[in-house]
Amino acid sequence: MRYAFFVGCTTLSRLPGYEKSARMVAEELGVELLDMPGSGCCGTTYLETLDNVTALAVAARNIAIAEEMGLDIVTVCNGCTEVLTKANKTLKEDPALRDEVNEVLAEAGKEFKGTIEVKHYVRMLMDDVGLDAVREKMTRSLGSLRVASHYGCHMLKPREVLMGDDPENPTVLDILVASTGAEPIDYPNKLECCAGPVMGVREDVTWSVGLDKVETVKRLGDALVTACPFCYLTYERCQLMQEESPGLPVLHVPQLLGLAMGLDEDELGVGHNKVPPTWVLERLER
Amino acid sequence: MTITVTREAKEFRRRVMEEPGAEKLMRCYQCGTCTADCPIAKRVPEFRPRQIARLVMYGQKGRLMEGDLLYLCAGCYTCYEHCPQEVHVSEIVSALRRIGLEEGRLLPGFKALMEGVAEMGYIYEIDEFENEMRMDEGLPPAPTPDTEGIEAVMRATGFLGKVEASRR
Repeated sequence: MRYAFFVGCTTLSRLPGYEKSARMVAEELGVELLDMPGSGCCGTTYLETLDNVTALAVAARNIAIAEEMGLDIVTVCNGCTEVLTKANKTLKEDPALRDEVNEVLAEAGKEFKGTIEVKHYVRMLMDDVGLDAVREKMTRSLGSLRVASHYGCHMLKPREVLMGDDPENPTVLDILVASTGAEPIDYPNKLECCAGPVMGVREDVTWSVGLDKVETVKRLGDALVTACPFCYLTYERCQLMQEESPGLPVLHVPQLLGLAMGLDEDELGVGHNKVPPTWVLERLER
Repeated sequence: MTITVTREAKEFRRRVMEEPGAEKLMRCYQCGTCTADCPIAKRVPEFRPRQIARLVMYGQKGRLMEGDLLYLCAGCYTCYEHCPQEVHVSEIVSALRRIGLEEGRLLPGFKALMEGVAEMGYIYEIDEFENEMRMDEGLPPAPTPDTEGIEAVMRATGFLGKVEASRR
């Protein structure tokens, strides 16, 4: 299996632990993730709110690169997932808009053809690699851990665009958590947004939203897993901003999977997690 | 505060409802599901999605365009998913941001972000320094974005020009 790997600005520059673990786990599963020459920002979910044609064109320029490679795109950021999936679907379904966008894209020497799919890393694991193949690689159980999943909004919504899990009752992350032997836990306000997108406008609101979830999960579980760099940074930073950190380890999904696969902690970039996941590591069965 | 629905107010409402996604405004029966479920409204008293819908119905442009109000929406689509009438308040907020930009208004943080994408190809600077760190981690260099192409695309639609000319 081969994919064009769209890493996204935040993971590329801020979260080597996420990128390393995503690449390591993919390799372990025999999945090739190829870099996309000339690719850049997806456009951001902000741009979508400001100008429709520009948002579609900036996203489509990246999609066209994957089309030239002849590969589907795999993303690790919920924001990129939503932006690229929406552009891909919209432009496939609306020929008039596609023509308009392609006229603009000619400025960058690109053309959107509509020949590939976009999917989040966790959907690639579930739908393409398959849960059985993921489980087959597990060499140690994380059975003593209770792990809460935070899905994040744009992996799931709007539902008619993402067409994966039910946004009101998503299961993909909990299924992946369970595959490691850890106990997936439910908790109040599981589906609440991380509020990362308003960090630049009202930081205090983001920290308040983040801490609510961190404190809830801390009472009920041992760790939180995320599948998006923005969500991850919110739940990590809101703790670091406190005089006394609540100390809830936050892990990227592929880090958790990689630990269960017996992969090396350093190779999975666990040392980059700023709330030290010490007790997660101490309780791994050797 | 007394609200007077002037001709201009009606014209403003019509203008908002022309925007893609905002067409269903008049279906809103003010049930308040959007506000009850909004993660921002829980913490920010002045941000009320139901009130935003109502203010658009009454064409109260001034109150809507005040301060940071429109930029407090996280775009989480909770109101979008939960609205029993498919009003999609999140899309109405986007429509209002677009109208604001048409008229030369954009939050400085958003302006910087969009100019950054055009200039750097990413939302942050990712160059030699970052690539050295990536190399130390055993990661390949970040793709070098075609910044000329990205800027040309953003300019060709007229968007970048509007952003550059915008003020708070």
